[in-house]
Amino acid sequence: MIHYIRKRLLTAVPVFFGITLLVFFCLELVPANITDLGGEEGGTAGNQAVMEERLGLDRPVVERYLIWLGGLFHGDLGDSWQTGRPVSAMIAQRVGPSLILTGTGVVLAILLAIPLGAAAAWRPRSVWDKLASVCSMVSFGMPGFLLSLAGVYVFSVVLRWLPSARMYATGTSGTVGDLIYHLILPAGVVCVSSMGELVRQTRSACLEALGEDYIRTARAKGLTERQVMRHALRSSLLPVLTTVLSHIPHIIGGSVVVEQIFGWPGMGSLLFSAINSRDFGIVMGVTVVIALTVLGTNLVLDLLYGLVDPRVRREEVGR
Amino acid sequence: MKKQSAALLLMLALALPLGGCASQPAEEGPKEEVTAERVVQYGLSNPWDSLMPYNSPSGSNYSRIIYDKIYDRLAYVHADGTVTARAAQSWESVEDGCGIVFHLNPDCAFHDGTPVTAEHWVETIALLTDENCPALGRSAFSVLTGTDENGVATGTEELGVKAVDEHTLQFTFKTPTIPEEFLLDKNREYYVLPTHLLEGVDPAELMEQDLWAAPVGSGPCEFVSEVTGNSLTLKANEDYQLGAPGFDTLVITVMDKSSLLTALIAGDLDYYAFGGSVSADNAPTATEAGFTVSKSEAPNTFYELMLNCQTLSDARIRRAVEYALDKELLCEQSTGGYGEVTSTSILPTCESYPGPGETTRNVELSMDLLEEAGYDGETYTLACTSNRSGLAALMQQQLAEAGIQTTIETVDSATLFSGMSDGLYDMAIASHTPSALPLWFVESRFSAENNIFHVDDLSPYLTGIDAIRTETDQEARKALVAQLDGLLAEERPFIPLWFGTALHVESNTVTGIDYDASSFSNENVWEWEKQ
Repeated sequence: MIHYIRKRLLTAVPVFFGITLLVFFCLELVPANITDLGGEEGGTAGNQAVMEERLGLDRPVVERYLIWLGGLFHGDLGDSWQTGRPVSAMIAQRVGPSLILTGTGVVLAILLAIPLGAAAAWRPRSVWDKLASVCSMVSFGMPGFLLSLAGVYVFSVVLRWLPSARMYATGTSGTVGDLIYHLILPAGVVCVSSMGELVRQTRSACLEALGEDYIRTARAKGLTERQVMRHALRSSLLPVLTTVLSHIPHIIGGSVVVEQIFGWPGMGSLLFSAINSRDFGIVMGVTVVIALTVLGTNLVLDLLYGLVDPRVRREEVGR
Repeated sequence: MKKQSAALLLMLALALPLGGCASQPAEEGPKEEVTAERVVQYGLSNPWDSLMPYNSPSGSNYSRIIYDKIYDRLAYVHADGTVTARAAQSWESVEDGCGIVFHLNPDCAFHDGTPVTAEHWVETIALLTDENCPALGRSAFSVLTGTDENGVATGTEELGVKAVDEHTLQFTFKTPTIPEEFLLDKNREYYVLPTHLLEGVDPAELMEQDLWAAPVGSGPCEFVSEVTGNSLTLKANEDYQLGAPGFDTLVITVMDKSSLLTALIAGDLDYYAFGGSVSADNAPTATEAGFTVSKSEAPNTFYELMLNCQTLSDARIRRAVEYALDKELLCEQSTGGYGEVTSTSILPTCESYPGPGETTRNVELSMDLLEEAGYDGETYTLACTSNRSGLAALMQQQLAEAGIQTTIETVDSATLFSGMSDGLYDMAIASHTPSALPLWFVESRFSAENNIFHVDDLSPYLTGIDAIRTETDQEARKALVAQLDGLLAEERPFIPLWFGTALHVESNTVTGIDYDASSFSNENVWEWEKQ
């Protein structure tokens, strides 16, 4: 297993640097950079030279990448091009709120989707199955921005039950109760958006498992339906687990649309404004965080495969 | 089953970092328990740059509206182009029009209690014009003697700023300058910095000071805390020389443009920048929700069709493009009836306004001009931002009726201006915030540093601009403005389209807001009163 982990880690290193290289050079291809901002106000010719010198934009792109990489090796993500603040400090400000928002939404989705998907598979064409279908349709059919706007209109404008923006009420120091009150609507949107895939995945995996020979044998042996379902759920956990863990980078990276609409101070809104303002320092910093999360999640996923499915473990031992 | 449980637990542990995160996002700046009752909730659709006013890469109004609150400016600019006292109580022209003396308000003080003196202004400008200082936007100082065209001190001549006494400040200009015109043009770019907190700082390291993370200014609001690019908490400066704002705390939150009106209706905002502006389409929604929607007294947006004079090299083709456009219809489509077509960039409120000029569509004349110029059916690229794609499609249709072929490219604002600057596009639709000065638009766009229309020979324009700038007699100046406007109409390096007038959703919870002036990047927060 240790050999396996080492092997996975060694593979992850070039992938990580490949990602940073690709994003860095893609940003180079973007038609305008931060020194071009201000055209609407009549041009920034005077600023351009100062900005180019300060940010090193007058140097060759390869040299700039190597300088950025050198900083990364020393744990320095550089400074924001727009605000001049350290990128790491700005990301640190935003990671927590993103974890709270998307984390809550995804966990809620897991807690609702897995039982619903299993129930739908257990009793096809039942009310649970129909509910699962409706859930999937709403989740897949309604884009996040529409769901957010509809939620704001119904719950904030018409009913006035929930706030339409921010993480805390203004003028307060931020209590957990206040946070939950502000969290309901955006986390609800994230939950609904994430549920569809999970419900479908759980339902189809359980249905597949319920058709297996060992389930038929279990039933023939006289096991109760509840015991049978437990067996089926266990073997169908692997694909569901893959889907669940694929949401982890999404939790760290934040939900761009939801955060933007609700004025939530997370990573998604940071990335959105950084792209708009051509703050490539922030874009690279967020790329590093997301890339590390994706690679870390994949590693954890591989380890969990081994834990959940003995066949994977045996395969690894056999190598 | 144990392993399954362990797997599930591990999975939940990864996805559930909530327990440790249920706290307020770490805000930078001195921590303060805000328990104020009178909180003004203020919405902004784009984030500001650095909190240091001379370190703003975009130089956008979103940054200026923040600086306007933390730092003090010499005067307050009204929408009709008049200026009233702010840091300066009064001003007068000296040295045959080449100097302005400002009598500073002796009650001005920084948020740390230090009185603001003329010396602070002198030191601020000296620091920013230092050749080693990487200040952005310092070209605003290029009008002062002793500086080059980028606003950098030459060292060969005395810098055109001096403290006559503790509260008297004098600027000396390269050319005769009318005080009100200087303020209209540059007021939003002249701030006083707390130089007493910057003693001994190397100008080269000015931007790296910790001061800018928790800035000390002398404006009507004091910095409390910031979640960079998302929210800013300010408190009222009780000692502001024009009076304390009628609220305790001002919380500025960045949210999507489409959410601002909704948040206002839902009660999550008291007001949003700039002036609670709303489109004609959305105005009825605001009215139905119980808000008063008012029309601005002065135009606050100027729309133009930028042209690339290298690819549209014949002035007859450029004029043909103008004649092919139905400005009235386009204006109606864009502003919902709250606009006025024009053939000049000069505001009707400007003393030198030459009149609206010819704005009627004439397709026959357009076709004749194209034939005369030998237009060969070349397809031009028309760039626009996504919110103007409908307008671009209408333009494309009108141009096609005259035989001019175009393809539309929808890009973001930075790409549009960069593309025009690099000569990638042939035309582009743009809008700007105008001022009541005759040269507000042309001066910055007809220069060697920013020749965005790719004009081959700038000299006739530069001669006209220089003549207007140095002429102080109003009548003579009006004639010069008309002359330059005639040249622009003949050559048509850009096509003026219309002036848009804003609609403001008035706040139900904050009184005293000067909605019209907020479009011009200054807000009278000292007169605001939270109900």
